[in-house]
Amino acid sequence: MENTFFDHLDKFGNSLGYENFGIAFMLSMVPWENPVDRDNFIMEITGQDVKGGTPSNYIPEYLEF
Amino acid sequence: MARGGPNGGPQYDPMKVSATGGNGQSGKFAAKKTAKAAQLRPSGGGEYRATQDLTNQIREGGNVKTTASAANPASNVPASPSPMDLAGMLPAISPLDSEPTEYLPISDGVDFGRGRGSEALPPRFNKDTRQIENVELIKRYLPDMMNAARMQNAPDSFKRMVNALMKQVM
Repeated sequence: MENTFFDHLDKFGNSLGYENFGIAFMLSMVPWENPVDRDNFIMEITGQDVKGGTPSNYIPEYLEF
Repeated sequence: MARGGPNGGPQYDPMKVSATGGNGQSGKFAAKKTAKAAQLRPSGGGEYRATQDLTNQIREGGNVKTTASAANPASNVPASPSPMDLAGMLPAISPLDSEPTEYLPISDGVDFGRGRGSEALPPRFNKDTRQIENVELIKRYLPDMMNAARMQNAPDSFKRMVNALMKQVM
């Protein structure tokens, strides 16, 4: 899931807030060259660290809705 | 049958119209106009021989000097505005144009990050349509996001976000 649309959506959605989902969605459609550039952009516009999933907190179980 | 002529003139009889045309004016038109100009003599009141000079000038076909420029100066004509006046009449496109943007952060004008929030935007941008857009986007792409959340290596944060988005549309 690294450097995919859903990865971008995870980072932008959690960093910008769910209320800014529309902006996060559009920014997730940008073909980021690598996750580092994307994370630098997020840190530039938020002034904070990137929020969202990292490979360390991936869980193998399916989500129960 | 006789037909009426122009301006109450003599009636034309189509039976008397020459098929080859008439003889024309034979130069009489110019002579009549010259005689008419000789009759239009300006009244007196000027210098000696001034009236005679004007009469000769009209007869020779020259233009008579008008006195309108001395009596009516061009002050009545509105002057065209200068370029500086036009520049002053143009309003700024928006209040943000008057502010230097070189030193503002990229997130200026939005409600997250550094800089001012959305209160810095002009009033026409303050109408918040994000919630409507968000709901439309979520409704459209929620099935795909749910499938992505069920992927084997989907992070917790993504699953939490999908759950929160589901609550917004349900």
